[in-house]
Amino acid sequence: MLRRIAGDLFWTARYLERAQWRARLADVNYHLLLEVPPRDADPWEPLVQITGEAELFGVNYSRADETSVVSFFTFDRESPSSIRRCIELARSNLSPLRHLISSELWLEVNRLYLDAQSWSAETLARAGMSAFFTDLRDRFYTITGIIQSTMPRDLAYDFIQVGTMIERADSVARLLDVKYHYLLPRIEDLGGPADLRQWTAVLRSASALEAFRKLYGNAIRVDRVVAILLFDPSFPRSARFCAEQMAASLARIAGEGQAVTAPAGLASDHLLEVLRTGSAAEAIADGLHGFLLNVQNESAAIANLVFAQHMSLG
Amino acid sequence: MLKRTARPAAFRQIAAYSGRNMTDAQHTGSGVPDWKASMAGGQPLNEMFDVDGHPRPECARVAAYLLAMESGRLAELGERARRMFLGRGVTFNVYGNEAGSERIFPFDPVPRIISAATWANLEAGLIQRVQALNAFVGDVYGEGCILKDEVVPRDLIVGSPQFRHAAAGIKPPSGVYVTVAGIDLVRGADGSFYVLEDNLRTPSGVSYVIENRLIMTRLMPELIRALRVRSVEHYAADLTASLREIAPAGVNDPTVALLTPGPYNSAFFEHVFLSQQMGVELVEGRDLVCVDNKLYMKTVYGLRQVHVLYRRVDDDYLDPVVFRPDSLLGVAGLTAVLRAGNASLANAIGTGVADDKAVFAYTPAMIRYYLNEEPILPIVETYLLREPEVRQMVLREIERYVIKPTGASGGYGVVIGPRASGRELAEARQRIERNPGAFVAQPMISLSVHPTLTEESGASPALAPRHVDLRPFVLLGAKPRVLAGGLTRVALREGSLVVNSSQGGGSKDTWVLEG
Repeated sequence: MLRRIAGDLFWTARYLERAQWRARLADVNYHLLLEVPPRDADPWEPLVQITGEAELFGVNYSRADETSVVSFFTFDRESPSSIRRCIELARSNLSPLRHLISSELWLEVNRLYLDAQSWSAETLARAGMSAFFTDLRDRFYTITGIIQSTMPRDLAYDFIQVGTMIERADSVARLLDVKYHYLLPRIEDLGGPADLRQWTAVLRSASALEAFRKLYGNAIRVDRVVAILLFDPSFPRSARFCAEQMAASLARIAGEGQAVTAPAGLASDHLLEVLRTGSAAEAIADGLHGFLLNVQNESAAIANLVFAQHMSLG
Repeated sequence: MLKRTARPAAFRQIAAYSGRNMTDAQHTGSGVPDWKASMAGGQPLNEMFDVDGHPRPECARVAAYLLAMESGRLAELGERARRMFLGRGVTFNVYGNEAGSERIFPFDPVPRIISAATWANLEAGLIQRVQALNAFVGDVYGEGCILKDEVVPRDLIVGSPQFRHAAAGIKPPSGVYVTVAGIDLVRGADGSFYVLEDNLRTPSGVSYVIENRLIMTRLMPELIRALRVRSVEHYAADLTASLREIAPAGVNDPTVALLTPGPYNSAFFEHVFLSQQMGVELVEGRDLVCVDNKLYMKTVYGLRQVHVLYRRVDDDYLDPVVFRPDSLLGVAGLTAVLRAGNASLANAIGTGVADDKAVFAYTPAMIRYYLNEEPILPIVETYLLREPEVRQMVLREIERYVIKPTGASGGYGVVIGPRASGRELAEARQRIERNPGAFVAQPMISLSVHPTLTEESGASPALAPRHVDLRPFVLLGAKPRVLAGGLTRVALREGSLVVNSSQGGGSKDTWVLEG
């Protein structure tokens, strides 16, 4: 497989995963605020923090309210990680590979792209925020479904997996990091209804609420949320699960090539080890922020290494 | 075994003769004693029906099939074909289109028939022609015998913008320079095929030939089987075989790759199609690198050597070290790799010198010079306006000729004398007088016509005669291989002679019958 093709597949996967997370975050935040009137803390601010683009936001918008943040998040052409921009980038990375993927996949991604071109404050208002984001969420499910059902489990699939899992691990760590610190409640609120609602929202953002209840029942505690989202081996959006998949795909990619232990594989094995041996209690005790930052950094490092090894053209 | 440059003594006479008198050279080239009467004056030949309206023998069955059809059925077939093309993604120039709308090369469901006997003659003529042109390319970048013998004027070749000095040091061991040729043929009023133009650089259109047949096999399977139409589906296999056969000596299992300019090129669909049918990697310039005078592609597991590159990129963009330095479509150092003999290129650098419109006039002489044979296929008479007497003759009746710019002209368009306005003719005359070497003249050929489904506005679609041409594809490898038939292009607008896709043309499936 040409390095250029591998790179295109990798980035398509990353941008699709990124767009999905953004859509889910916006959706959950919106519903959260429906249930509870906003307090003094600005409820839309965390979304901006999650993208890591607070500075850019500040340039174009004077305040973080529902209108500005949803706009920045969803269809802003200037923002490099608005949902629309992610979809555009996914499509442009996928376009040259049209003949290598199933026609359904291309048609679906292209359809989403074409629709995204017409997004505006008006389209959102007309559709209604809830309906808009639910529909968007479903469209990403469709795309994922097509990938899973039509792609043979070959090198192309492994590069998509690696891209997806790296982005997912990074995203879940980012979600936890921002929410954990932004939501750091006043002592008197710990365990209170507001706290509970926020953590429920975090679980919803990862589509993990039902899975959580299966494991732990209704008692939502910080350490359990951290456990399912970081360390659970079976939940498909936990960082641990992502690391397992990442390592497996990298092993398959490396397995067919030279018998050299790949730096990317070593790095992903390390991350996997950290997530296999760690626990929520330890991570919280040692400083959750540091741990989450570490997951993000290691994911980025793995991405760079796999790119240099298999995809870069320079 | 391909015939190489041959210079027996007898040739010197013929060569000397051919070089002396331009008008004579034209006439000895064509094999048609009096072209004016047979072509310009005559009505276009209808390929399916004779003057009395009876179907020609090879078309009898198809004509009967069409006439027996319920009205509207043919239009339905046409619509089905269109949907199949769209569904299969047989589109062109759409990758660059941001809106994602697909355009297909219009397809006419009425097949064009060529009898076995006619084809046998065409095939022999095409092989002969391409072998001579191939020898010519090798000669002008090698010994230059044909130039020394003054059969072809040296200045025409060396002064051509398509002449590539970089090709001088490259000598493929296989002796093949023109691996893929697309020869444009037209059928005159006398029923004979004439060569209108050679395409020896990056000829395209074969993907439509294969796709058209695929669709027709679904639309009219019984007819194809009953007529025993010769298959075209093995073209990709033949192309792969030819490419492997021209690999550098001593390579056991040559790796072949197809170099494309990328998704924004209008022929990208064909590049994708062929690479998939052939089972070879489709690469862009940035996927390639030259190291130690060898050519490699950048794979996920490291560099993999490429032995034969089938390139659909023009010479100018092929190697920034030797040609345009700003090109991102090629790979630096490719020419050095070729010179070192570590890779083969299809087609070779500089083949454009042989498909120049001015050089075209000398192609019959080339066949005689290299092969010691009379040309089987006549060419359309081509007059070089650089010759004073010829120029006088043409300018006296400029309205009867088609004036075509040669490579040296800097891009003027074709002027079709019989259709041009007085002003256009005056301008053409001026241009010719200012720079006569930049133009050639040909008689206007009344291209044959073929019943084609037409859409008159308001009325239901009906069959009407439309002008067609034919582009067969010839492959040279260890041996010549000719695709049975080729691309029949049809001018969809009434009276139009313009058959290419960007200007209102479409295509038909071409059926060569088994003997």
